[in-house]
Amino acid sequence: MTNTWYLYVFFAAALVCAGLLGLLGKRNLIKLFIAIEVIGKGISLLLLGTGFAKANILTAQALVITYIVIEVSLVATALALIINIYRHTKSLDIRNLAKLKG
Amino acid sequence: MILQTALLIGLVIFSVLALLLKDLLRSAISLALASLLLGIIFFRMNAPYAGVFEISVVAGLITVLFVLTIALTGKGEAIHESRLVNWVFPLVFVAFLVIDALVMKSLLGKVPALASGAESGSFGEVLWKARTIDLVGQIAVILAGVFAVLALFRKRDKND
Repeated sequence: MTNTWYLYVFFAAALVCAGLLGLLGKRNLIKLFIAIEVIGKGISLLLLGTGFAKANILTAQALVITYIVIEVSLVATALALIINIYRHTKSLDIRNLAKLKG
Repeated sequence: MILQTALLIGLVIFSVLALLLKDLLRSAISLALASLLLGIIFFRMNAPYAGVFEISVVAGLITVLFVLTIALTGKGEAIHESRLVNWVFPLVFVAFLVIDALVMKSLLGKVPALASGAESGSFGEVLWKARTIDLVGQIAVILAGVFAVLALFRKRDKND
């Protein structure tokens, strides 16, 4: 069973690393949010892979469904925020948000 | 096992493509394909409910939301990503993959084995009986998301 677990944890770590690198390097707000989504995919793969390897797939599945539902409301809120930021600054560049006024 | 590994490799490739492609629309579609592959992986791990949610909600609904946002914000073409990142990203990622392959197996061996008894009952029993309170929290989170979107798109009164 350890080999199966190793496979899933390996790819989950790769996904989380790719997402973190994207979060560190990118400047476009939508790209940053896609990076967060990639990290989330890695986490749900890790949860289900561990549940599968430890014969606890039902609990892991319930956790992943909880995560997916919360992810949808997170995405809706964050994309609404991004649209509002675009209306205010006319740009999606994250560096424009660092310029404070007032 | 081989098919599962191929699906996992495809998942990582499409996720990295979603981060590296310059066209936002293409990267959103690439993210949707990654979700589709993840859903198939879930199906093959005997987790059909998680697979259905992943394919219908993440690959469907979230992609629609992304495409809608990209359309509303005019693709954001004017942003120049730094060139250094375009070089550094693949290098660091490949280095991480190598370290991951070398280290992860011994790391997993050090994780103390938790008690993991075989589960009994159906998925519905586990979902509804083992976790009651946090499902209420989940409903509260969805409501909070709805109210947040409503508040963000609120129209201004004439008095403002």
